[in-house]
Amino acid sequence: MARSNEVNLNECKMVVPLNTWVLISNFKLAYNLLRRPDGTFNRHLAEFLDRKVPANANPVDGVFSFDVLIDRGTSLLSRIYRPTTAEEPQLNIAELEKPVMAAVVPVIIFFHGGSFAHSSANSAIYDTLCRRLVSLCKAVVVSVNYRRAPENRYPCAYDDGWTALKWVNSRPWLQSQKDSKVHIYLAGDSSGGNIAHHVALRAIESGIDVLGNILLNPMFGGQERTESEKRLDGKYFVTLRDRDWYWRAYLPEGEDRDHLACNPFGPNGRSLEGIKFPKSLVVVAGLDLIQDWQLAYVEGLKKAGQEVKLLYMEQATIGFYLLPNNNHFHTVMDEISKFVSSDC
Amino acid sequence: MVLYDSATLGGSCSGSSSSSSSSKPPPLQQRQQTQQDIDGLLAGAGYRVRSSELRKVAQRLERLETAMVNSPADLSQLASDTIHYNPSDLASWVDSLLSEFTQPPTCPSEFIMDPETNQTVVSDAWTTAEPHMPQVHQNISYQQQSLNNQLTVDNQLTVVTAMEEDSGIRLVHMLMTCAECVQRGDFSLATSCLEDMQGLLTRVNTVCGIGKVAGHFIDALSRRIFQGIGGGSINGGSAYENEILYHHFYEACPYLKFAHFTANQAILEAFDGHDCVHVVDFNLMHGLQWPALIQALALRPGGPPLLRLTGIGPPSPDGRDSLREIGLRLAELARSVNVRFAFRGVAASRLEDVKPWMLQVNPKESVAVNSIMQLHRLLGSDLNRNSPIETVLSWIRSLNPKIMTVVEQEANHNQPGFLDRFTEALHYYSTMFDSLEACTVQPNKALAEIYIQREIANVVSCEGSARVERHEPLSKWRTRLSGAGFRPLHLGSNAYKQASMLLTLFSAEGYSVEENDGCLTLGWHSRPLIAASAWQAVSDGPADFPA
Repeated sequence: MARSNEVNLNECKMVVPLNTWVLISNFKLAYNLLRRPDGTFNRHLAEFLDRKVPANANPVDGVFSFDVLIDRGTSLLSRIYRPTTAEEPQLNIAELEKPVMAAVVPVIIFFHGGSFAHSSANSAIYDTLCRRLVSLCKAVVVSVNYRRAPENRYPCAYDDGWTALKWVNSRPWLQSQKDSKVHIYLAGDSSGGNIAHHVALRAIESGIDVLGNILLNPMFGGQERTESEKRLDGKYFVTLRDRDWYWRAYLPEGEDRDHLACNPFGPNGRSLEGIKFPKSLVVVAGLDLIQDWQLAYVEGLKKAGQEVKLLYMEQATIGFYLLPNNNHFHTVMDEISKFVSSDC
Repeated sequence: MVLYDSATLGGSCSGSSSSSSSSKPPPLQQRQQTQQDIDGLLAGAGYRVRSSELRKVAQRLERLETAMVNSPADLSQLASDTIHYNPSDLASWVDSLLSEFTQPPTCPSEFIMDPETNQTVVSDAWTTAEPHMPQVHQNISYQQQSLNNQLTVDNQLTVVTAMEEDSGIRLVHMLMTCAECVQRGDFSLATSCLEDMQGLLTRVNTVCGIGKVAGHFIDALSRRIFQGIGGGSINGGSAYENEILYHHFYEACPYLKFAHFTANQAILEAFDGHDCVHVVDFNLMHGLQWPALIQALALRPGGPPLLRLTGIGPPSPDGRDSLREIGLRLAELARSVNVRFAFRGVAASRLEDVKPWMLQVNPKESVAVNSIMQLHRLLGSDLNRNSPIETVLSWIRSLNPKIMTVVEQEANHNQPGFLDRFTEALHYYSTMFDSLEACTVQPNKALAEIYIQREIANVVSCEGSARVERHEPLSKWRTRLSGAGFRPLHLGSNAYKQASMLLTLFSAEGYSVEENDGCLTLGWHSRPLIAASAWQAVSDGPADFPA
């Protein structure tokens, strides 16, 4: 056992920069301490270990942020990130929600990752990522602090995403000047990508327009064990066992991984043929063990006639987009920027 | 097992930023990189690792993973019993976990081999068990102490957030304008602003949200403009009144309870193994903090120490010796749980009037200095002499305390510029009032609001020696205390867990505890409002490390 572990550790050290390796290994080991075999989760220790940052109404590198309680009943918080305009370096408390000024301002509703159980909107890694998205896309980013598993199972995360979507859509100060509508994109990584898909689904019959979905290493799965899962199990930070644990924690008790939340184009899934679904940008890391499911998702969208662009980053592992120290990061950020600006 | 992670960061005094929202620190990465070759990207993720140590940390992580895989039993113990400290310091966190694996397996008997000295020691079995005990007692005693159970979360509360009210926004605009005028010295314009705002107030909901807190700020500005900056009636409240208001603030929201139980946990741990202990409380009030500690000490393994408590408080004008009365009540409690106890009251109207000889510290006792929202009062400087804070910190250090527990408002209300201070206070107190909405029990809530209102009035309408509410954020206290010869004693995951659990017992949803570089903060949603930390004097003499 120890020997094959050595092999595993050596392999993943060769494909990521050292600081990325340290960061993701740290998460991996910490998370091992938090998942209990009986399916419960050490939430106190998780919150203690998670590195968080407060919102900052003073712009840092051209971006400021503030937190808003968008649903008191569920204590649903979101962190809003906005770019500063050239003329006003310092905003006071009244101007946080001042109307967006440009003809078109994309509003990206972001769902952080963490396999439905970890992280928060105010986790340092996601605060940093959202700030980058603001600068990159000249967008407002709304990062949703959705309820997590195992304390809150399906469909809580989707409900919260839906609440956030409705809230964003109804903010007058987020409307683009050109057409007095809010230009909404849904984005997320890992479980956040999964949430983005399902919230877009819910939006379909509602009359709320979602202009695009950005899914970074989205978390999907299924009952079957795919080739990539078998080949890459334990090799690049992630194991099948932990993936199984998180699905058991999120899905309703007794359900298996062919549940539509996990496997949207599986036996219990819904066909999107003929449906007006937003265009999608799906990023798949070539060293992610669940890539077969992610690729199947892309195929599912294509077969239903939906517009989808796949970015397959061969040598990328999970979490590559957390630190800007690799080529995959820059490629993906460029594509995201193009994806969002193509509506201007 | 080491009870404290007493690793310091050498020259680095800034933690992961818990700064208030309107202060402007330089970007975290930049500042720390210049100081210490810290990896900037990991800093952005909340971890401090020296670039030169990355490889070493990586190796340790590998070893840790191998150890975790090879001994799942240890892994589950690591997951449940181990106390974690200061996760931002990744290197020491990994090392502390690794050290859990290299310990010899626990033997059924009480005697195990100390790996360092190769001698049999008795203590380990107890030290691993101990952290659980105070938690239980803290729970019990707080249930006994709590006079009201004020936790009804009103889910029907349809408080509209500030920004959704147009008049609310206008009100804030006008408050800022008025404050600006005051800063500029344009009092006539400020006065007309005030009149406009009074008018607007009548059209805004002043029962909750921005209307309520705006009203208090308008009052405070009024005072400043019309009554001057000498404090007057704000600071003139009697000690008795202040105690009542403080008590209601204690009941209405969890900030003071958090302060007390976090400090008590740290003090309990610091006193472990000591038989003569002396707590110096910088602001006794009704002594609400101490029953829990007395009970926890009563039940500690090996029996309670001899406990002395010195309570500092203002003199009572009416001839009553209120300090002594509190002392007597605490003594009764101590007697009922068989803790040998002695109390002494020190009456002083200002903390800076206290001289160390008044505390009569015995060189053989272990001292804990407990300061709940008192140190900031010493930050006003008199040009003629040393700033009182320096004097006081210096004599605290001379007492060589085992621990100094410090709780302070997590806010930047001591900035010299009035407008900056005003803006910061508006943010801070809006959040605090928001959190108070979760409390629906009267009269606690109304009186707690008056308590907070007095703070607001002091921050906004006073200057010079009258302005005592000179709150500074954790980052500034770290610098100040490190500079004064103290080093941090980190609060760990056990204290964190206890705080979180007690919060769910006592408070509505929305309060959150966070770990910040070895300190704990309590806030409303994601905004920290109060910060608790523990310190020990750095000794000048030969190495004097804690157990």
